[in-house]
Amino acid sequence: MPDLPEPIPAGPDESLVEGVARVVSVDGAVAWLEPEQGPSCAGCTSQGCGARGLGTVASRLAARRFPLTGHPDLRVGDRVVVGVRGDALLKAALTAYALPLVAMLGAGVLAQTLAGNDGVTLAASVAGLLLGLGVARFWAGGLTARGITTPRFLRRAGFGQSCRLT
Amino acid sequence: MQDYIYLMLSAALVNNVILARFLGLCSFMGVTTRVDTAVGMGLATTFVITVSSMLNWAVEAYLLKPYDLLYLRTVTFILVIAAAVQFTEMTVRKISPPLFQMLGIYLPLITTNCAVLGVALLLVEGKMGFLASVLFALASSLGYSLVMVLFAGLRERLALADVPPLFAGPPIGFIVASLLALAFMGFAGIGAH
Repeated sequence: MPDLPEPIPAGPDESLVEGVARVVSVDGAVAWLEPEQGPSCAGCTSQGCGARGLGTVASRLAARRFPLTGHPDLRVGDRVVVGVRGDALLKAALTAYALPLVAMLGAGVLAQTLAGNDGVTLAASVAGLLLGLGVARFWAGGLTARGITTPRFLRRAGFGQSCRLT
Repeated sequence: MQDYIYLMLSAALVNNVILARFLGLCSFMGVTTRVDTAVGMGLATTFVITVSSMLNWAVEAYLLKPYDLLYLRTVTFILVIAAAVQFTEMTVRKISPPLFQMLGIYLPLITTNCAVLGVALLLVEGKMGFLASVLFALASSLGYSLVMVLFAGLRERLALADVPPLFAGPPIGFIVASLLALAFMGFAGIGAH
């Protein structure tokens, strides 16, 4: 089991993005949680929504399992509310999406200026995208090591409380 | 260069995907309860729209047109978009599992977001070159993200406002969205000569 980074504590006025997760296994001091997800559109309970259920299949939820340390009282089946800082979500999104896009566009504009050919620009854009993804991986490692993206335990979930992107 | 700037301003503001073309309204109402989540959804959609538009342009130029398969355009684009979402999901999971735990929730929503297909079809209508297509897709999706964040900010304020019970919840949301659309109509004069 690798060392897990400690989550950075939130300040008193800091907003947290909360979600409900269920304990699926306990391995010593580490509890593994699986996000509990209702309809994939938060708050959308329309039966006709095409996205309903897409985010709830077992394999997708299993892929999003995450560890939680420091709470030995947790048992399999417990439902808890976990949270990450709001700015952590922004940093994560910028790292995963904005960095590769900027690299892709930079390479594309450069190739168009130099070569002026659509095929070359396409190839350069793909190369830029791959380079950007490599940089994003490096950057994301830094965020994880600093504990910025580590979810923290907030409280036990109340009866009937469901996951919402609030 | 000036043409590219006009193209991007037009795509992002004048012909905004949500408020002028009325695409992507499900996520517009569903994921705008908080600014943080709206930013996450907006950036994820921006990434998918831009990458899938790049791929769709290549498929259109090198496969559908040369082999006279244009009648398969919509089906092919849907397939490419689904593949792009899957690629994004796999990539984010590979880049960083913690990021995937945080951002993975938005990706299934994008598969069924009609804005992604709408932008791809608009690109084909526009008969643009590769770079213009990518910039148009990027600007369209940035316009989508801008409206998502603006609307989320308004809804955060509305949550604290004393709204009459009859209008509380989605009704006041729709009213605010229509006012936002009216405000965006003010951009219609940009670029007029």
